[in-house]
Amino acid sequence: MRETWVIGAATTRFGKLAESAREAATRVALAAIDRAGVDPKAIGATFVSNCFGVAEHQAHLGPLVNTGLGIPETPSMAIESACSSSSAGLHEAFVHVAGGFTDVALVVGAERLSHLDTLRATSYFAMGADDPFETRQGATFPGLYAAIASAHQDRFGTRTEELGAVAVKNHANGALNPNAHFQRPISLATYLASPIIASPLRLYDCCPFSDGASALVLAAREVSRRPSAEPLVVRASARAGSIADLQDRPELTGIPASRRAAERAFRQAGLTPSQVDFAEVHDCFTIAEIVALEDLGFFPPGAAARAGAEGVTARDGRLPINPSGGLKAKGHPISATGAAQVVEVFEQVNGTAGARAVPKTEVALTHNVGATGGSCSVHIFGRR
Amino acid sequence: MPDDAPHSVRQYELGYEEEGRLRGFGSACGFRTATWALLCPRCGERDLTEVELGRVGRIAAVTVQTVPAEQYLNDAPYAYLLVDLDGGGRVTGWMAGVSPGSPPTIGRRVRFVPGYRRGVQFELLPDEAPRG
Repeated sequence: MRETWVIGAATTRFGKLAESAREAATRVALAAIDRAGVDPKAIGATFVSNCFGVAEHQAHLGPLVNTGLGIPETPSMAIESACSSSSAGLHEAFVHVAGGFTDVALVVGAERLSHLDTLRATSYFAMGADDPFETRQGATFPGLYAAIASAHQDRFGTRTEELGAVAVKNHANGALNPNAHFQRPISLATYLASPIIASPLRLYDCCPFSDGASALVLAAREVSRRPSAEPLVVRASARAGSIADLQDRPELTGIPASRRAAERAFRQAGLTPSQVDFAEVHDCFTIAEIVALEDLGFFPPGAAARAGAEGVTARDGRLPINPSGGLKAKGHPISATGAAQVVEVFEQVNGTAGARAVPKTEVALTHNVGATGGSCSVHIFGRR
Repeated sequence: MPDDAPHSVRQYELGYEEEGRLRGFGSACGFRTATWALLCPRCGERDLTEVELGRVGRIAAVTVQTVPAEQYLNDAPYAYLLVDLDGGGRVTGWMAGVSPGSPPTIGRRVRFVPGYRRGVQFELLPDEAPRG
């Protein structure tokens, strides 16, 4: 395999897009290309994610993005893996570049659902679950993660205040991110006063519905002679799956795909969890961050919630988690999320993260889950 | 897939909607479920056997949703449950008459209530009715 770098990265602000996902995807792709300092014509393949494009009456986004970039002859493909779509796109781009099929690849993820009312947006999101065996039995996505939370509480005694600590931390980080959907810190009292959406999860346990777009440019080291920004060396790109339905898995307090993808990623990179300096993990709900930290091997099962409440995962803690604000505060435009996690790593490594800069940036990990973990991507990045 | 196929999504729906029973499949590894697969998700076994699942079990995970799924707009708050059925198999379903402030607890005994309403509806067994 060829050593592969992320040489450009860009994101919109998350929240509400004034333009279509197509326009935002193309605009952010050009920003990433320009930051990489490459000619758009150098791109050999484009991987586009836009799960809910049908909500804008638009599918087949790849050729539209490429046309908008002046490269209509470049091959493109749509990558759908629910909330892990653009990290799946990143994996496919990595395979193409590392495998020698193309020298430069573009990854784009975009989503726009803010023009829908809450019920319709919730119904679109629910399409990532098993329709007859989850959704039509009454489950929403908050409900599915709440079921995980209930099992985690039952097994490990995870406390409401520990869930709240995740929300408080990530909102504090989001407040320092000019691209975050939510840019105001919250207190634990505010968290505790928020209404229950799906017990034990409250409003502030849940990520928002966000619009947004993010893009990455990957290139083989051998063609990246003079990168215009400090590149991220892709030290591992791993994906894995789980049994799709929660109820069919052997246990409810972890996500098997996260564990498998993490094991593969650490093996590829030749690293251990203790060597990671910071991470962006999938915190669509506060319990998701806690479970992720245990599945990734950063903490033993049942230990992550308490560690978070004690400040271990704060920006100035031993292992900063979600310095961007995470899905929880930065926002979660489904198909843009995976790429956006890597944008945060790019900013941190390039020293452009401003007040949310973490102390050490030699090794970073991103973790992106599809639905309740039917699919998962783990990437590990290092420096040249 | 025809209604008389060995196991199908439609057959499961007909089971709880019209026949008052929970139909599923079992595998040689001991796994039992109501969901749909051609090969066992746990062990890969091809030879799956149609089974009738139990109607009584214990709550394995539970949430009370105040924001409902689209087909439950008039039912919130309601509980979404994962239930470990006696005799094996874990199924999903819902339960009315609950409060988000005091959700049913994991381990509580419940039973499937055959009826005309959507989804697999459960109720707490009478000797463990909610307090207050």
